[in-house]
Amino acid sequence: MKRKLLGVIDATTYHDDLEDLLTHRSLAALPFAGRYRIIDFVLSNMVNSGIRSVAIFPKMQYRSLMDHLGSGKNWDLNRKRDGLFFFPSPIVDFDGNKIGSFENFAANLDFFYRSTQEYAIISNCYTVFNMNFRPILDWHSRSGCDITEIHHKDGGSMEMYLIKTSLLIKLIETRNETGYTCMKDVVNDLQNLYSVCHYEYDGYAVMIDSIENYFSTSMNLLQSEVWQQLFPKDQPIFTKVKDEPPTKHVKGSEVKNSMIANGCVINGLVENSIISRGVKIGKGAVIKNCIIMQKCQIEENCYLDSVILDKDVKVEAGTHLSGTMQSPFVIRKGTKQGALMNS
Amino acid sequence: MAKKKCVAMLLAGGKGSRLNSLTKDLAKPAVPFGGKYRIIDFPLSNCANSNIDTVGVLTQYQPLLLNSYIGIGSAWDLDRKDGGVTVLPPYAESSEVKWYTGTASAIYQNLNYLKQYQPEYVLILSGDHIYKMNYESMLEYHIEKRADVTISLIEVPWNEASRFGIMDTDEDLRIVDFEEKPDNPKNNLASMGIYIFSWNILKEYLEMDERNPDSSHDFGKDVIPMLLEENKKLFAYPFKGYWKDVGTVKSLWEANMDLLSEDCDLDLFDHDWRIYSVNPNQPPQYISSDAIVKESLINEGCTIEGEVDNSVLFQGVTVGKGTIIKESVIMPDAIIGSNCLIEKAIVQEDVKVPDGTVIRSFDDEIILVTNEMLSGLYPAF
Repeated sequence: MKRKLLGVIDATTYHDDLEDLLTHRSLAALPFAGRYRIIDFVLSNMVNSGIRSVAIFPKMQYRSLMDHLGSGKNWDLNRKRDGLFFFPSPIVDFDGNKIGSFENFAANLDFFYRSTQEYAIISNCYTVFNMNFRPILDWHSRSGCDITEIHHKDGGSMEMYLIKTSLLIKLIETRNETGYTCMKDVVNDLQNLYSVCHYEYDGYAVMIDSIENYFSTSMNLLQSEVWQQLFPKDQPIFTKVKDEPPTKHVKGSEVKNSMIANGCVINGLVENSIISRGVKIGKGAVIKNCIIMQKCQIEENCYLDSVILDKDVKVEAGTHLSGTMQSPFVIRKGTKQGALMNS
Repeated sequence: MAKKKCVAMLLAGGKGSRLNSLTKDLAKPAVPFGGKYRIIDFPLSNCANSNIDTVGVLTQYQPLLLNSYIGIGSAWDLDRKDGGVTVLPPYAESSEVKWYTGTASAIYQNLNYLKQYQPEYVLILSGDHIYKMNYESMLEYHIEKRADVTISLIEVPWNEASRFGIMDTDEDLRIVDFEEKPDNPKNNLASMGIYIFSWNILKEYLEMDERNPDSSHDFGKDVIPMLLEENKKLFAYPFKGYWKDVGTVKSLWEANMDLLSEDCDLDLFDHDWRIYSVNPNQPPQYISSDAIVKESLINEGCTIEGEVDNSVLFQGVTVGKGTIIKESVIMPDAIIGSNCLIEKAIVQEDVKVPDGTVIRSFDDEIILVTNEMLSGLYPAF
């Protein structure tokens, strides 16, 4: 029988550097690649790795995350047994930036007691990657290590940990005696009683922690080798589906090197950009190096260069907005931009 | 079972033989349309949008894909505790296997399905047409007219009238004459194949029709004329708007091209009357630096490196470098190699077009590109 894995996603993280995009949503629900939310990557990876039980621990601003995940149907996690579990934290003041906070897990310890899966994988919610955890589990159980931390070959920890569920429970139960507050404390303590191994991952993976790296990672999507690694046909990234029609390229429009989701109507010129679902771009508008989120409306003859438009932004006719590739101009959700406001 | 005011019966068993190899392995209602949909999405979405939550789908010809596509109806929000979608294939009784021999016999054989909901009205639909229609308004009209049967009708071009059931009405829109596919049509008001029956009338006349050994068990040919003969109250419900029978390769192509015109009556972007479909979950379309896209409808999962002009591309289509696609419809997951020219064609699902292929029509015919056709062009392929 295959060894079974329990998926645990820590969705409590907040990054100050992403504040402009996180006023209405948690980091896990940050829109990415035109039709996804960042959590879709780790969640789909878990599902594609045969994980049938996933616990998500959110903290603040989780309305949009809950709306996105729903019953878990889009990930095939609306199951009678196991499936998707949602554990909003009852504690307000724990440190949300520690992945796998034992204090937070302790509030729902019953869930871990009840889980039948022998192993658990604990992951952050904000990594853009497409990884199968199954080979790592095999590697972990062969190695005889107590804890495996996934590392990236180009950097350090990917903040993903493989552990026996029974040991995880023990770490949570003994947190006051050991002083360990989270998984990171355990693996970083050189004096600890456990054997910690590193699994080196060499595929594409980026942890989104600032506007700058959100922007550059999005732009990387336009390179076909990145694109092909993230969206292979046999390991799809699932997301909440919307009933949008195919995108309409209207007479006189022009699109170059861009990614466009469904339900858009393109009249103007789009270049090096990521356009999300249901975006309307007016005649004569020029969109370059931009990330345009869901349902934005860009009216006629606008000029946008290196701009991130959050959801539902309306840009009035003739408006010019520019940022730089290093520091893109971010327009907050639901706002209106007039031609005179930024002249 | 909870009682339902109106239950819909969707006839989806048609072969659509004039669609040639497009319907070799699938029923006509499952034929892809509009870059994302299948024909049956239109009547099913109309039901969902018209608050009709109980729909029997009658299948017979090549039902595999259709059955799995419909599933439990969740794509159309028709997965309900009470009612929802039920696929109704022909079945065997202790004495014999009863195929659906006509539209009327298909409904007759499922009277037990209808009886369990004790409906007041039954809406009969076909899975062959592209249109958006509010069946709830038609039902209100039926009730207001105290009709026994209401048939929706649409004005069609005179030269096409002999393809349809043609109706003659008085000033009050009561139907006085009905002829199925007449050689010399008296007018151009065509039946759209959408009927609302009051339940008692439907039951009575289907039973009567079943007993008639001379009947071909067809609504248009047998049941409607019989009702008219007996002076029942049949009313016409005039429909205005986009409606297209996509029965031939040419008309399927035309209907797809209609979506590209700026004043198309069929608005797929209307959020108040969405057309739902099974979403394949593919990444956004990618248009490369070398690509040129003009006046086209393109779905998710496409990768475009060539030129796409006045065309409709379904999910997962790949268009190679240097390729030109003009006035064509490319169905799901087709792979078009590089340096090809495809003009006025429909490329079928999953077809691989080798590099350098030229397919163009020199008359008004629309070319259907299939794997069989390509293996004729490329014997070694």
